[in-house]
Amino acid sequence: MAELATETAQIVLQSGGETHRVENIIHKVCKQFGYDNVESYVTPTGIFLSVWDDQDHVATSIKRINSRSTDLNKIASISKLCDDIKSRNLSPDQYSQEMHVLALKTVYPLPVQVLFGGISASFYALLFGGSWHDFGIAFFIGILIVLFNRLLYKAHFNIFLINALCGGLAVFIARFAGTYINGLQTDKIVIGTIMLLVPGLAIVNAIRDTMAGDLVSGTARLVEAFFIAIAIAAGTGSMLKLWYLFY
Amino acid sequence: MDTDLLSKILFATIGTMGFAVGSNIRGWKLLFTSLGGAIGWGSYLLVLQQTHALLLSIFIGALLVSLYSEILGRIFRVPITVFVVCGIIPLVPGSVIYYAMSQYVQGNFMKAMRLMMQALLIAGTISISIAVVSTFANIFQDLKRRL
Repeated sequence: MAELATETAQIVLQSGGETHRVENIIHKVCKQFGYDNVESYVTPTGIFLSVWDDQDHVATSIKRINSRSTDLNKIASISKLCDDIKSRNLSPDQYSQEMHVLALKTVYPLPVQVLFGGISASFYALLFGGSWHDFGIAFFIGILIVLFNRLLYKAHFNIFLINALCGGLAVFIARFAGTYINGLQTDKIVIGTIMLLVPGLAIVNAIRDTMAGDLVSGTARLVEAFFIAIAIAAGTGSMLKLWYLFY
Repeated sequence: MDTDLLSKILFATIGTMGFAVGSNIRGWKLLFTSLGGAIGWGSYLLVLQQTHALLLSIFIGALLVSLYSEILGRIFRVPITVFVVCGIIPLVPGSVIYYAMSQYVQGNFMKAMRLMMQALLIAGTISISIAVVSTFANIFQDLKRRL
């Protein structure tokens, strides 16, 4: 039972769920299967969980979380599955099966995500005052940034380095294009593309965790958001400096 | 309403949609998430036009986004984060941080510090408005349960 709850919690946490939601889900899963006495402690990097049965036997499970990504659809579908355990009368085995199916399901294939990364970057470039020329370049850079981001993530670079390198790449290509095409507003292009890197999820989770009384996780997420912001600033800043030095 | 404002809102909508796809949102939720971006950016621009107060406009924009998300979260029975995260993205001060860095690299230290401070204030304002809405939503739910 403890394992089942931990696995559920792991999926939600790795998809970017808030920690108090993860704790809620653990309690919900255990209660639906008849284990009322549960204590859990979840931080963004680990899950600790103890379950007591009727004879006061304790089962404890600890899970370290290393990688985290954003998959809000997974959070939504798993939350729904947990709510429905009672009403659909699922057995633990059935539940485990369905959970694993949901965990493996990806919504969009990589090419679609990459394409929409480009769309997002280019429209944000327009939003912040870019022209249609900037739009085209931003689309191209957006696609590259998403691909580069995935590549570095697969290569197990840390979150700071990933964001700094992506920011640097965005500035470099934008400036490079700016030297060949007249009238490009490189700043608008860069802003559009770095909106892809902005730590929206970390900010929102930091606030919601803190408001739910989960101070440790709230602080951790806040530091994460802060470091990503610093990384973007450092990446773009150093690339700008290099550019000014050589041109 | 002038066309400039409308086109800006449209750009925000499509940009948010792209971000939502990156966060693996699908179906009807994708459409409503994008509308959240439009609501946030639209109200931000309108308030900014009327009052010329940056932080107030950001506050109201983020407030409306989170309110909208709370309502949608109840309707769709999904975590509210799904909608909030993408909706506030246009308001996040990515551009201000970039301008600060660019000023700093050009040697304008005072301007860079001013912009950095501004970015920090904007981020704080967004946090406060999300916090306000989620706190009141919790109180509201508590009351509903007791009645």
